[in-house]
Amino acid sequence: MEFQKDAHTDHISRQFNEELEGIKSHLMTMGGIVEKQLQDAVTALLDGDSELAERARQSDKLINAWEVEIEEQCTQIIARRQPAASDLRLIMAVSRAVNDLERVGDEAARIAQQAAKLAAEGESPRGYSETRHISGLIREMLNGSLTAFARYDTDLAYKVAKMDRDVDDEYKSAMRALATYMMEDPRSISRILNIIWVLRSLERIGDHARNICQHLIYLVKGINVSHASLKEIKATLRD
Amino acid sequence: MTTATADMTNATKTTATTAPRAHGVSLDALPQGRETLSLEREHIALEVRDLNLHYGEKQALHGINMDIPKNRVTAFIGPSGCGKSTLLRCFNRMNDLVDGCRVDGQILLEGSNIYDRSVEVADLRRRVGMVFQKPNPFPKSIYENVAYGLRIQGVKKKRLIDETVEWALRSAALWDEVKDRLHESALGMSGGQQQRLVIARTIAVKPEVLLLDEPASALDPISTLKIEELIHELKQNFTIVIVTHNMQQAARVSDYTAFMYMGDLIEFGDTDSLFTTPGKKQTEDYITGRYG
Repeated sequence: MEFQKDAHTDHISRQFNEELEGIKSHLMTMGGIVEKQLQDAVTALLDGDSELAERARQSDKLINAWEVEIEEQCTQIIARRQPAASDLRLIMAVSRAVNDLERVGDEAARIAQQAAKLAAEGESPRGYSETRHISGLIREMLNGSLTAFARYDTDLAYKVAKMDRDVDDEYKSAMRALATYMMEDPRSISRILNIIWVLRSLERIGDHARNICQHLIYLVKGINVSHASLKEIKATLRD
Repeated sequence: MTTATADMTNATKTTATTAPRAHGVSLDALPQGRETLSLEREHIALEVRDLNLHYGEKQALHGINMDIPKNRVTAFIGPSGCGKSTLLRCFNRMNDLVDGCRVDGQILLEGSNIYDRSVEVADLRRRVGMVFQKPNPFPKSIYENVAYGLRIQGVKKKRLIDETVEWALRSAALWDEVKDRLHESALGMSGGQQQRLVIARTIAVKPEVLLLDEPASALDPISTLKIEELIHELKQNFTIVIVTHNMQQAARVSDYTAFMYMGDLIEFGDTDSLFTTPGKKQTEDYITGRYG
């Protein structure tokens, strides 16, 4: 059956509508906090701002609190309403997306930690342009995945999933460049290793953003595309 | 089971989600904790104290203690014969009509014992209304069914009766369906409409407590959902106690749930906790379909 974008607002029980709207809007709130945290962590790194890095690290607690809260709400809706069909898929998708967002929060906190370390050690412009470039792509992916979820927009979700491949390519070429820097100047190895951890975290965030898109596709299409190739996803969306 | 009241107080306390405070992050964005209902006197509609009930030799309720919160929906669940309907009937003394029925203990409505000698049962039943499993409209018009309680009370003013009938039918989510045929017989309505009419009739006399004994078990799924939505709306103005065989219904409509078994109150707590993390094994076995 075709998925209706307003499907979660027309139950006889208004309370049920509110509960479903509630978890979705909380997911968006949590997404906003995670996006801000990632932005702060990357800015802290590039600007050598240890205070901002600390703030980004601390927002992890808030994100964890939201994860627990939304998970709890999902559990309660299942226990109370025995949801079916698109309602059940919404809850499953939100619950999975919340887990991915929480992991994004962990990775962003790691980036903030590296930012604090690098700020303490002083300037290290090596690898920063790669970080800036990849973090731009990643933020776009994260934002795209949340927007796609908010609008139930599977085309956008597909675009974000596709971007993950570009990020992987960029990541590989950044790794090659950083390896070259380390060979050229062995004294920079420890600082560049920190950058490598940052890029690794960014790359993982991209994976989580792609996962969120896959959860959305499951919600809208009812098909699990967790292990599907881009080509298969595209075919799913065409049907 | 005297610990039930204590269980409940603890249960309501622990539902508060206390989010950790993150430094330097806008606290506006903190998840909002769920409602905690402080069970102080003014939030309690009915207090049950050491209630025992015998049908002849057989004891049907064993030392029940519980506080029914005001303006909330409390559901009684449990297997057949567990005493849930018996307990519900105690709240407006319907058991008085049963031969050989003996009640001891207290039920306090707004602080005074409804089993006190000075209590007029008719007056009590106006304050504590009841709706049964099968819709039982009177063989009169829709309008007269709802106006009935007021007429009995001696209300004569037509305008007041008109207003109350409209208010009650609107509150029972029935007005739009019947406003053009108010003077047709109530017996021509569907089962779901009849049950909502009976609810309208009950609330027309503005009771404090509404007792619902399996109000939807004779109805189809859509009418059932309409009744459930109505219950949710009505709790703003009334304290609602519902007995249901359908524990999913209890999960959907109630704020608090009491699980009874063989005349004992086994567990009483907020519905969210009871259906996700019950405190007693018997409750878990029942709600997961392992016995009962």
